[in-house]
Amino acid sequence: MPLSAAQNIDSLTVLDRAKKRPLCFSRMRPEMVSTKSQIPKSISHATKNSLYVSYDKDLTEALVKHSVSIHPSLGAGLFNHALDPRWIPALNKIFQRIAFKTDERRESGFLPPEELAEVLQADNGKDLFIGGSVDTTTKTITLWRGNSLEPLTVPFSAFIPAGDGAQPDFSDFSVTDYGQTVRLGDYEAAVDAILYENDSDYRRRISKRRLQEEQTFGASIRRLRKQRGLRREEFEPTISAKTVARIEQGKQKQHQVRNKTLEALAERLQVEPEKLGTF
Amino acid sequence: MTFTLKLPAGLRKAQWKVKIRDKETCEPPHVTVIYRTKSWRINLRTGEFMDEKPSPSEVPRQILRLVKEKNNWNRLCKEWDNLYPSNPVPHAPEKEE
Repeated sequence: MPLSAAQNIDSLTVLDRAKKRPLCFSRMRPEMVSTKSQIPKSISHATKNSLYVSYDKDLTEALVKHSVSIHPSLGAGLFNHALDPRWIPALNKIFQRIAFKTDERRESGFLPPEELAEVLQADNGKDLFIGGSVDTTTKTITLWRGNSLEPLTVPFSAFIPAGDGAQPDFSDFSVTDYGQTVRLGDYEAAVDAILYENDSDYRRRISKRRLQEEQTFGASIRRLRKQRGLRREEFEPTISAKTVARIEQGKQKQHQVRNKTLEALAERLQVEPEKLGTF
Repeated sequence: MTFTLKLPAGLRKAQWKVKIRDKETCEPPHVTVIYRTKSWRINLRTGEFMDEKPSPSEVPRQILRLVKEKNNWNRLCKEWDNLYPSNPVPHAPEKEE
């Protein structure tokens, strides 16, 4: 049974010599690797849905050294220590996705362990960030999502100064609020705003949800039509598809729709006219 | 700069937060209640929850009372207007209990 159905993780391995930190992941029943000698056994039963989280550079190095000869195919690797850039090609061969800190400065990093563990198991992990890395050369920030470490790269220009003049400080980066906020110095950006502007799939999902939640008469007609499996053209010749669209989009309000049209809509949608706006 | 409404110690310890961040989704003006991996947006023009999910019933009444307490509500509206002068809250609703 997967540890996180939403994120397709069936096992978690934590590479760490510290004793306390892995306790944060206890709900995910992690396999603990605290010595280099434990690595071969760990890899032998790992799968393409295994997640590795490393807090220890030496253990990561041992993982790379061991793996290059046996070519395992592992799921995702999260390296919460400054990663030697020369290891990245090898890690990319071992893991389907990797996320890593570029240095020990405050321009990259991940959520604290207790928040990271919760986001990795969250149903909405896809819409939360677990960490990121600032690149001042390309003026971009790469953010990793809670679902299998899918990356999203956004330009500095996405973080426009606030109306009160607060400016983002790209040399002081962190992800906070269980992956819901990107902090750049004193400046904070809502993750849903970042996703909305930079991820078309997220925009589609949110737009769809908002349409479903919309409480207007037009939205009610749209939902009802969808429930009945009808296309707008199927109201013709009594009501033109264009008129149906105008009503659904709110361009023609309920009080502006002729009674005859309301009755025809109701008949086609198989409801009483007075109940049209209640769906 | 991000505005964080001060909450009683118990709620803070339980990891509840109420914020208006420097970069929020544009429309309409709102305040965000954050709890661990979940959040709720409350419309500053109407006082209503903007989303059906997660369920608004999960937000403790104590937080709603604090958010809608007149001084806090006015402060939140003012902070939104400071951060987003091109999209101001035109009318702050009366206190709702």
